[in-house]
Amino acid sequence: MKQQTRTLRLLVALLGTLALVATACGPTGPTSGGTTAAPGETPVAGGRLIEGSFADIKTLNPMLVADVPSSTVTGKIYDTLFFADPKNGELKPNLGKWTISSDSLTYNWEIDPKANWSDGKPVTGEDYLTGLKLVAMSKLTVRKSNFQDIEGWKDFVDGKATTISGVKVDSADPKKFSVKFAKVFCPALVNAFGSSSGPMPTHIFGKYTAAGQADAIDKAPENTAPTVSSGPYVFKEWRKGDQVILTKNQNYFKGSPLIDEYVFKIVADATVLAAQLKTGELNYGTVEPKDLADMEAQQNLKVFKYQALSYTYIGWNVKSTTAPALQDKRVRQALAYGLDMDAVVKSILFGQGTKMVAHHPPASWAAPGAGLNQYPYDKAKAEDLLKTAGYTKGGDGIYAKDGKPIEFSIVANSGNKTRETLLQVATEQYKAIGVKVNPKLEAFETMVDKLTTGNQEIQGWIIGWSLGLEPDPYGIWHSTQIPNPAAKTTGFNFGAFTNADFDKAIEAGRSGNCSQAERKKNYETFNKILNDEQPYMFGFSPNTLLVVPQNLRAIDPGTFSATWNLEKWWFKQ
Amino acid sequence: MRTYVIRRLLYAIPTLVAIATITFLITRLAPGDPIRFFTFGATDLTREDIEALRAAHGLDKSLPEQFALYIVNAAQMKFGNSILYHKDAMSLVLERLPNTLTLAVSALVLQLLIGVPLGVIAAVNRGKWIDNAVRFFGVIGHAVPAFWFGLMLIIVFSVTLRWLPSQGVLTVGKDVWDIGDRLKHLIMPAFVLALAGIANYSRYLRTETLDVIRQDYIRTAEAKGLASKTVFMVHALRNALIPVVTALGGVLAFLISGALVIEQVFTWPGVGQFTYAAARSKDYPVITAGVMLGGMLLVLSYLIRDIAYAVVDPRIKVK
Repeated sequence: MKQQTRTLRLLVALLGTLALVATACGPTGPTSGGTTAAPGETPVAGGRLIEGSFADIKTLNPMLVADVPSSTVTGKIYDTLFFADPKNGELKPNLGKWTISSDSLTYNWEIDPKANWSDGKPVTGEDYLTGLKLVAMSKLTVRKSNFQDIEGWKDFVDGKATTISGVKVDSADPKKFSVKFAKVFCPALVNAFGSSSGPMPTHIFGKYTAAGQADAIDKAPENTAPTVSSGPYVFKEWRKGDQVILTKNQNYFKGSPLIDEYVFKIVADATVLAAQLKTGELNYGTVEPKDLADMEAQQNLKVFKYQALSYTYIGWNVKSTTAPALQDKRVRQALAYGLDMDAVVKSILFGQGTKMVAHHPPASWAAPGAGLNQYPYDKAKAEDLLKTAGYTKGGDGIYAKDGKPIEFSIVANSGNKTRETLLQVATEQYKAIGVKVNPKLEAFETMVDKLTTGNQEIQGWIIGWSLGLEPDPYGIWHSTQIPNPAAKTTGFNFGAFTNADFDKAIEAGRSGNCSQAERKKNYETFNKILNDEQPYMFGFSPNTLLVVPQNLRAIDPGTFSATWNLEKWWFKQ
Repeated sequence: MRTYVIRRLLYAIPTLVAIATITFLITRLAPGDPIRFFTFGATDLTREDIEALRAAHGLDKSLPEQFALYIVNAAQMKFGNSILYHKDAMSLVLERLPNTLTLAVSALVLQLLIGVPLGVIAAVNRGKWIDNAVRFFGVIGHAVPAFWFGLMLIIVFSVTLRWLPSQGVLTVGKDVWDIGDRLKHLIMPAFVLALAGIANYSRYLRTETLDVIRQDYIRTAEAKGLASKTVFMVHALRNALIPVVTALGGVLAFLISGALVIEQVFTWPGVGQFTYAAARSKDYPVITAGVMLGGMLLVLSYLIRDIAYAVVDPRIKVK
């Protein structure tokens, strides 16, 4: 997972807000059931949960979070208004419950009457407003766009107003508040009410939101040492570069957690992490597929396997003038048939993954249930498609048209073994269908620069996407997101794929009818176009392999959340 | 002497400016834009968000402008806010300095405690098996790559025997002031960091001691009828140690830079590990703060060495 963490740093981080995806259909990937207490077992309090990570946290202010480790720890201190069902991603009331007005513009919230900060003060609608003001005033946050459609947002950001007019706190009941948007935007629920939107304690952070404070929030000491908590754990200590220690919040509104302490421990790499899970120095962590057999052989450990909301793919520059073959849909389809992805999953991921043929991973509710071409490995069909596209096989075994062979480069980031191996396999298997691939390895940062700026050196590339709760694919696939070197604009639609119906489906999915059923229909159209056009060889979605001790009870992780019921976990003595 | 120190301090200025310039150029000319890297995959960010972030870190300015600002600020020890941590880069680096110094000073102590006696024993037993063993160790200890040696120790003492912890500075659940636990974490990284120095000192001391015991004044001392132990301890060893003591300043600089690799292997949360992580994520302010701090320590330790030379050995004239 290390490699993905790096690729997708921000995305997942946002655990709900920044990100993409929202509710859910049943899990289709492999999942293991939770281990609730067996009959006769009585939960006991005590113990310490120690999670292993390769990187330290950067901040403990959810408004500033932009990386996975910080998000992991901050999420245990600041609870969110809703939580995602672990198995199907459906949003459920947590700190708050909500209703949406018939015009889909106003969200009415009511915070749980029992919800208090750890110092006993109630969590209120004002605290939500404080969170928003902090984002608006910070110069270093990456979250401003999450709130840009809230009425009065821009005036507050520009200093023309002292509050955000669209957010109204009920004067009779401070637990109630409403948020009005200027336009319908389906991802708003996840983006504007998720983990980066508070509530933030007004009695602590209010002093940073007063007029004339400018970006004081960016320097607040509470960013690294939070004093109160709304989540299951409260901050105790951050030993920089080594460990973060949290203790249980006795006042947690869902009940005091059973496990006394949560520790986030930094280790060197995946090998050390696996070794420390075996010795018990760590008792919570995800391992790589190569370590799975070893983990399963341990009497004291158990492994949860479930589909991750991410995929690794080979992308094609469909507008490439230097590799014109990639402009032809039939060639791209041939490339889909010509690579045995099931075998790749077996060899690289030890079977712990799922072949992908469109954008949304099967676990997401936005994924189409059926009707997609699965592109089973079929060399003959691949070659037939190349012939249909007007190519003939030359003496060197490579297909060519007008004297020009089908030849292009695929670049992957060096040091990422999974992607390096995929590149090697693709090169060999494509050669077998008469397509010449020039494999290239580059530093990740160089690749990021070339891809996001639309450098036309790029013909094919291997990278991954990690998706979030909200499935809106606009940022990755809409035609406005095609990087344009001439205009110096960047974007994530690296391969410049576009299609009128496709754009329309994406737009309707975010600003049309926001019911899940309607959105699902739009995403079905979207995924079917991708499935047919194959602007990516969609690769695979890996499984998360979560390892915990045998005696950990009540844990019930899934694709959308692993720690949703953390306060109920306990260790059987 | 005072003029000498002042002059040496003035000499340090161009050195530091050169380090600052080179660091700036290397970070900026290396491929990859930090904000693009930082926001990669954040698909709901607007272009305005990204530009605002770039402006907040001064990266929207032209390279010469950035450089001018950087030098002016660096002169006041300001390196800007870390892109990842949203905090002053130098203070973040300084937070990690005590850990690096603990490691470096422990390694230095180990080098002296082990290296010096080994060299002396070898010299006294010249030509015997023990001398050969020390000389063999002198070569091996110097040639073995530190990261490999560190991994070997981890396999033996942490994974197989489970005697020592392999990562970090403290066991989870232990108090910050648990000295015993800290020492257990310190042993392996300090020893690995010290290894090359132990080998060096043993060779150095052996040669120096052999040199000294051949001197006329030693023969004179022996001829006076002094006990050979006294001759050795008072006359021989003391003189043999002079160059060792004076070299300490330079060694400390070597140890601080060497800690970079060791800190990776043992996840030791020091300046090296932190700066390396910053380099991987293109966090410019932290990279420059880390490198400048290293540079300053280096200049300082060479200065101490030169002063020590002048003080200990009057034959070296202060120029």
